[in-house]
Amino acid sequence: MQGLIWITLFLPLIAAVVIALFTRGQRDLSARLSIGSIVIAFGCTVLYCCATQMQGGPAAEPAWLEVAGTAPGDILSVGFGLILDPLSLTMLLVVTGVGMMIQIYSRGYMKDDPGYSRYFACLSFFTFSMMGIVLATNFVQMFIFWELVGVSSYLLIGFWFGKPAAADACKKAFITNRIGDFGFLLGILILWSAFGEVNFAILKSDFADGGKALADLGGIGFLSMTTIAGLLIFCGAVGKSAQFPLHVWLPDAMEGPTPVSALIHAATMVAAGVYMLCRVIFIFDATAFFVIACVGGFTSLIAALMATRQDDIKRILAYSTLSQLGFMVMAVGMSHPGGGEGASAAMFHLSTHAMFKALLFLGAGSVICALHHEQNIWKMGGLRDRMPVTYWTFCVGALALMGCPFTSGFYSKDAILLLADPSKGGSALFFIIGVMVAFLTPFYMTRLVLVAFHGSARTEEARHAKESPAVMTAPLGILAFFAIIAGLVGIDAILAPFFGTEVHYHNWGEAIIAPLKEPVAGLASTFIALLGAYLSWTIYTNAKSDPLPEKLGPLRIAASWARDRFYFDQIYKYTFVAIHDAIASVADWFDRWIISGLMVRGTHGTTELGGRVLRMLQTGNLQTYAFLSMFAAAVLLILLIFRG
Amino acid sequence: MNNLTLIVAIPFLAALFLAFIPRREKDLVQPVAMMATLVTMVLAIILFVRFDAGAEGYQFVFKAPFAAAVGIFFHFGVDGINLGLILMGSIVGFAATCVSFGEIKEREKEFYILLLVMIGGILGSFASVDIFMFFFFHEFALVPTFIMIGVWGRGDRKNYATFKITIYLVVGSMIALFGLIALYLQAPEPRTFDMAELARIFRENPIGANEQNLIFPLLMFGFGILVSLWPFHTWAPLGYASAPTATAMMHAGVIKKFGLYGLIRIALPMCPTGAQNWLYVLAFLCLGNILYCGFVAMRQKDLNLLIGNSSVAHMGFAFLGIASLSLIGITGAVLVMVAHGLLAALTFGLSGYLYNRTGTLDMDKMGGYLHGLPFIGSALVMAMMAGCGLPGFANFAGEAMVFFGAWKPFPIITTLAVWGALVIGAVYMLRAIRKILHGPVNEETFFSIVDATDWRQRAPFALLLATLLLFGFAPRLLTSKIQPSAKAIVNMANGVDARIATAASLNSASDDDAK
Repeated sequence: MQGLIWITLFLPLIAAVVIALFTRGQRDLSARLSIGSIVIAFGCTVLYCCATQMQGGPAAEPAWLEVAGTAPGDILSVGFGLILDPLSLTMLLVVTGVGMMIQIYSRGYMKDDPGYSRYFACLSFFTFSMMGIVLATNFVQMFIFWELVGVSSYLLIGFWFGKPAAADACKKAFITNRIGDFGFLLGILILWSAFGEVNFAILKSDFADGGKALADLGGIGFLSMTTIAGLLIFCGAVGKSAQFPLHVWLPDAMEGPTPVSALIHAATMVAAGVYMLCRVIFIFDATAFFVIACVGGFTSLIAALMATRQDDIKRILAYSTLSQLGFMVMAVGMSHPGGGEGASAAMFHLSTHAMFKALLFLGAGSVICALHHEQNIWKMGGLRDRMPVTYWTFCVGALALMGCPFTSGFYSKDAILLLADPSKGGSALFFIIGVMVAFLTPFYMTRLVLVAFHGSARTEEARHAKESPAVMTAPLGILAFFAIIAGLVGIDAILAPFFGTEVHYHNWGEAIIAPLKEPVAGLASTFIALLGAYLSWTIYTNAKSDPLPEKLGPLRIAASWARDRFYFDQIYKYTFVAIHDAIASVADWFDRWIISGLMVRGTHGTTELGGRVLRMLQTGNLQTYAFLSMFAAAVLLILLIFRG
Repeated sequence: MNNLTLIVAIPFLAALFLAFIPRREKDLVQPVAMMATLVTMVLAIILFVRFDAGAEGYQFVFKAPFAAAVGIFFHFGVDGINLGLILMGSIVGFAATCVSFGEIKEREKEFYILLLVMIGGILGSFASVDIFMFFFFHEFALVPTFIMIGVWGRGDRKNYATFKITIYLVVGSMIALFGLIALYLQAPEPRTFDMAELARIFRENPIGANEQNLIFPLLMFGFGILVSLWPFHTWAPLGYASAPTATAMMHAGVIKKFGLYGLIRIALPMCPTGAQNWLYVLAFLCLGNILYCGFVAMRQKDLNLLIGNSSVAHMGFAFLGIASLSLIGITGAVLVMVAHGLLAALTFGLSGYLYNRTGTLDMDKMGGYLHGLPFIGSALVMAMMAGCGLPGFANFAGEAMVFFGAWKPFPIITTLAVWGALVIGAVYMLRAIRKILHGPVNEETFFSIVDATDWRQRAPFALLLATLLLFGFAPRLLTSKIQPSAKAIVNMANGVDARIATAASLNSASDDDAK
């Protein structure tokens, strides 16, 4: 049975290869292969979840790379193992479960696309790579799949590569991720140089004494090596989970097909950063945790602000994803060294978020499809009556995202806010950020629902919109069901013991109302959320265009900053990109004119000059020769005399 | 004649055979060359499979006198270091012969004769255990390069490129030759050209430190120029841009590795003290390759110049691995050499394919090619991804090992090298994809492109990609074979063997005293 997990992992890869090589022409077969492989993967995952005796993963771990030198620095052993524990199984369920829904949905969404087979090949390849990250047992293996996920994201964002915007977006996503991976790889190198190991389990036991070998390496400035290594590893998560300052790629990534945005850029891949942090939670020290929480909190807040002023339905959801990812990262950062309470909360929110955010994206996709690829919410309106299934499921997703009581988001969000609860010894700073996000989220989601679905249709397309076919609405229904119940199926109860914490309820009945017993974290934040929704309701009901800037009065300027994404893209363009371009042009100029020009032509020139000088000496004049030989003899004589 | 000897001999024999084919039978020329390289490749694969990683020293040894009086022998043998290079060289040789079909339309006979001499020459050089033959065979590979660029080259800067590449490479090999002669003269009478023998001699009686400090830089810069070590690299991009496809594939892929091979095989073990003193210079210069040439590649408008500069940049990783003088680093460097050989051949082959259809490699005149080139376009995407170090391709495994090996001796240089590999590499490679394959269709050139459909066109690219993927997925296939040989070299270079030998002799001396 241990072999089954290998099959689970490699089946999607086989599907991708078979589609790419053999069934490109047969659209239907390609889709069936891809969906079939993920259904089997999902089935196996469920099996593992039920059969706890199979957990732990295969005992034998084949080596991917092995160098066995004699010196301590000459030993490198990179295994290729698979890990099956509550953490990886939770994530695997999300990846295969949501992935399966999205692939089925894609059959409807992509049905007229000429690149249908290519699309499914890429999706299967993505599934393989993502499962690889989840199951990895060591840093190098994770890095390998980390990069493979990056490239599948690249291929899918650039799926419509003929569109300049999509072609630019995929390039930007890949390069921005690479900047994060730069830190990630350096972090791996530091950990390896301290412990001579990259395996998670061995590193964890090495860290039992707080990572003394790492601390012994010294530090840079006031940062200890432990902090530096932790923060460098965190860089990987900053790239992949699109945290500030590398968040700029995610909104642009919306150029990809909508199911791709749902799967990769909302539910799974972008959550890989959070998953990775949880997997290696033991390497961080207090300073590193504080920085992580700050980065997460800041991302969460600015992204929520930017989301309030976007007009493209997918971009609103993209900024919302950024904000929620920041929320999870902040949760991770609220752990204590050696503990994992934040990781437990973050993974819980990651799971529920995957359900409702995938649902929201698929709902948006349904709308976009019905409106012939119109994405501006101000060109929609009145879709509630024409697309009832989409509308109601979308509302469920939105409510879960807002943290409406008794939906899944309510419970997972509460778990995070509880960590920050100042009345329970949490950090007031992060609590305030959490509450502000809890206010802004209902604000922009209510705006989205009101503008897109309520009121009257603003364009001809919106007037003639039709509900999507069952192949698309069925996944919406299933995801909506899970968006409601996912908070109560016990994800937190499974994760908590794994991270060495516990949940605050004893039975199912208590679980339902557990958050409401928390006066600060639960009740207050629910009230704030209602306030946000209400404010939005008063502003956007029956609005024809965005009335927010007028209402803000003197703060209007801030609203336009939020709309223009606080100018991060421009800032990077004029700093990071400009510096690289400048260095590149200097290097190019230097290569062309100095190295190639002066040195090569210079050598050539001096040789020629030497030839001319020598030719001048050959005058054919006997007197000159006589003079020269006398002169040479004199020089020799002087040299000999002085040396002697 | 054993397997290894046949691998070297067949290309030469085929070249000889072609020389006797009448000029009018020109349809026969390419198939003969292709068959010869195919057989060579199959033999090299068999050699690779049959190689025993556990055995010590050279395997498949063949020895016959060439000029026995002065100690020169046809002495072939493989160990972990050259095994992968011979496999890679023979695969690239076959691919290069395949892609020339349809490209070379005049003086075909001469072209294929030169190509076969080139392939045989470089394989002979890698297979030689005799230093003289090692160098001699390399010249066989080098000289056709100049002629091919001069006669079948492309572009209006062809003559300048020929002139430049000739001067650089001749100067480089001259300097290396001086170093080799100096090394040869250090051995006591009767002198030998046998590498294994020389290594043994120098292990027992190391060359004096002063001599080593002079010989090592000669070898380092001599071989370095042949590998386009910064700042002696400018011949490479221009030379490759002007060369016919097969020549660029062979030179950038295989012949260039001669210098690296020489450094690992000869310079490190025979001049360990010189290496200790000089390798940090190499470590700094490799940054010139990785960062500087990476930046230069970012600015290129011509695809071939971009690939040429990136190929120069990739050499930096091999240099860094060598400079690290650690087992991981050297093993990684050898892996990088094999991987880069396949990759350079693949990218130059693909760019040659595009050039032969469109007549230009100016990236501003391209765009949206993926619409019309599903096969070639996908192969190009994969090649570019391999070029920016994507796991799954052999290049990643090699580069990662180099970083692991070099991290302890050179943390800052390694940091910058990682930046070069992950970020700068991605910037220029993706820029090329964006300009050539993505974006709206460029009407000016788009309609002249045709995808590769028949097996003869696809085989070389599929073969190179498959090999890259094979070694990328299972790098241990190579590293387990490289390691034992690399370990011997690293031990010698680090003076471990010398120390052990000294300790042993001291012990025996003290034993004598006790008596």
